[in-house]
Amino acid sequence: MLVQFNQLPVSMRNLPSLDQRRILVVDDDRMNIRILQSILQKEGFVIASADSGESALKEYETFDPDLVLLDVVLPGIDGFETCRRLRATHGETTAPVIFITAKAESDDVVAGLTAGGIDYLPKPFRPKEALARIRIHLQNRLLLEQLAKANSDKNKFLGMAAHDLRNPLASIRGLAEFLADPDIGPLNAEQLDLVQTIQSASQSMLRLVNELLDISVIESGELQLTKAPTNIVRLVEKSVRLARIDASKKLTTIILAPGAGDTESINIDADKITQVTDNLISNAVKYSPLGAMIHVVVVFKNQTCRVCVRDEGPGIPENERSLLFKDYGRLSAKPTGGEKSTGLGLAICRKIVESHHGEICAQNLPDLGAEFSFTLPLEA
Amino acid sequence: MISLKKVLLIDDEAHIRKFLSLVVRSMGGPAVIEVSNGDDGIDRYREERPDLVLLDVNMPGMDGIDTLKAIIAIDPNATVVMVTSLANRQTIEQAIEAGAAGYIRKDTTRDEILSILNACLGDDSASSAPTDAS
Repeated sequence: MLVQFNQLPVSMRNLPSLDQRRILVVDDDRMNIRILQSILQKEGFVIASADSGESALKEYETFDPDLVLLDVVLPGIDGFETCRRLRATHGETTAPVIFITAKAESDDVVAGLTAGGIDYLPKPFRPKEALARIRIHLQNRLLLEQLAKANSDKNKFLGMAAHDLRNPLASIRGLAEFLADPDIGPLNAEQLDLVQTIQSASQSMLRLVNELLDISVIESGELQLTKAPTNIVRLVEKSVRLARIDASKKLTTIILAPGAGDTESINIDADKITQVTDNLISNAVKYSPLGAMIHVVVVFKNQTCRVCVRDEGPGIPENERSLLFKDYGRLSAKPTGGEKSTGLGLAICRKIVESHHGEICAQNLPDLGAEFSFTLPLEA
Repeated sequence: MISLKKVLLIDDEAHIRKFLSLVVRSMGGPAVIEVSNGDDGIDRYREERPDLVLLDVNMPGMDGIDTLKAIIAIDPNATVVMVTSLANRQTIEQAIEAGAAGYIRKDTTRDEILSILNACLGDDSASSAPTDAS
């Protein structure tokens, strides 16, 4: 589909100005530097130069360029190595590196791109082509910066909105609960039904808002773990007890098998891991038919602790497997008792487990149902 | 279940005060005093000496922690339960250190709030520990 220019978001229509962008030119041939300098300065770019890989690394720190033009053949460390070192120090925030190669041999080009370069310019320069390429990469870099900023603004906004929606929602739910209470005033059957609808709608909205808040905290990189030695078997027992309340409404039995291996206390954020166990067990109840049996097991093995939850639900369709732990990754399976799902729960679980350097996975059981499990290292 | 005579609610949001006052009403039908800021809360504490204070952590003007410290300075035995929007561990620890008896989250259900309050007031039959709000 062709997107028309005026349909683009405003921020993308106003392509950022490239005036005063900073370019570091690295070449041991003074002549080449002079040629590039004259082409680039005419366009309003600010130029610094270096004549070796080592001096380029130094110059990079003080000049803080937006783009680096880097000769491959240099005295001392070569261009590829210089690029690798830049990327090792600055990671994803490294300015784009364009290699300058005398021979645009495919092997050289591949080596350059593997070393972390973004493009290459063949010598001798064709000024117009060189400029066009440089412009594109500077443009892309600016757009990436804008995108990162827009994404972080989005997370902030999501967090603020979710946070501010919570209190009024909690009150709506709580006050509806009181209204439905016969002590406050008898309601007729129809009124009671309306009030209970308000109550359950605000309850599921509160859950959604809480999950959005979790996502915004995790996405903005502000997920802070407060770890303490925790008896994970005790923690799982607590989740099971809580889940049994909802399970009993569906005549579902949750069996907590005695764990294998020695129970060890492990260093985790108990609240966050509780959130994971609550979620996995309540999912098992949600997606299993009435009267199902759910098995929960904690196993200590090979310096890890594994918590498994086996349900009797429909399992995971092979073609939907990739959606399972993604944000808003709702699958075709429906809760069997009309429960609500936001599609965020497992994504949050994955992020919590991964922040503990653990792993979460799911597999279908041979006969019936699926097994969701997560593994945490004992030395977390 | 513990029976209360007088409860002081300090929260800038009227709907939260309404909800909490309904919750504490079932604890022996106490008189409920509602104020919307920390300064008024401290004044009313001094005048009324309630059995229980429910105190919002985040308020414009004087915040919950400072209000808590002022109340504890008036009466070291005051039972103050913090009311939080998010259970921010740092804030909670700060509050417990300053003398709070426990905390409840605003999205906690009525029954859970009741069991937490009973535990904070020292009712041994209460099922839940004071810091067990989630």
